[in-house]
Amino acid sequence: MFVHLEATMTDSTPGDTAPPQGSDADIPAMQKILDNPFLLLFLGIMFPTVLYIVWGVMEIVTIPLSH
Amino acid sequence: MTTLSPPAERIWWKQPLDRLEGTWIAIALVWSLIMFFMMPIWHVYGKQNLSNEAYKTTPEAYMAKVQAMVDQHTVRKETDLQLPVVKPPPGSDVYMLGRLWQWWPLLELQKGKTYRLHLSSMDWQHGFSLQPLNVNMQVVPGYEMVLTITPDTSGEFTVICNEFCGIGHHTMVGKIYVTP
Repeated sequence: MFVHLEATMTDSTPGDTAPPQGSDADIPAMQKILDNPFLLLFLGIMFPTVLYIVWGVMEIVTIPLSH
Repeated sequence: MTTLSPPAERIWWKQPLDRLEGTWIAIALVWSLIMFFMMPIWHVYGKQNLSNEAYKTTPEAYMAKVQAMVDQHTVRKETDLQLPVVKPPPGSDVYMLGRLWQWWPLLELQKGKTYRLHLSSMDWQHGFSLQPLNVNMQVVPGYEMVLTITPDTSGEFTVICNEFCGIGHHTMVGKIYVTP
């Protein structure tokens, strides 16, 4: 399928490239999180561990005794 | 659109959302929400995935409770193996155990009455599966699961094991009779 690459790829306005220097405020918070691989690594390990392993073990150890 | 060349450097979050992409996201979101809410709806209204209570026990302690019920409320014996059929009073605690390779004892319950069905295993993990309703509960030694059940149809219901437990797994069949 041959499409005019020019037409589809250049939908950016002139000057609309990398964020202007020194303006951290322009990058949304979510994008900053996604830009930080070590933060993502931490979250990717922490969330499943807490929600599954830690919560699961807490539930199991608090099972009441049968009478 | 093509991925043969790297994306143009631009602030992607300032690009207007492509209409097709927006539609796709909306459809995927709606379907995800439908599937998510079907889970609690099925749990509450489906009468198949039941909430259970769980208690810590031992096979010996649980066996004692099952035996006590069998001693008190056996009404007859069935098959060559003389398996007891137990008819407990409505509203009471009913006990069934799973062991290699048997669901014991057989139960006779009354339609429209509520019972607390206790389940545990004597040895290995088994899968309590009430057919044809397909109500399923995993049954493990050391833990006593309690299901609150109210039979709403009379007839014969079969209990099979749906957690593979060895050479006799397919012979593990129990029965629950529901009288009108």
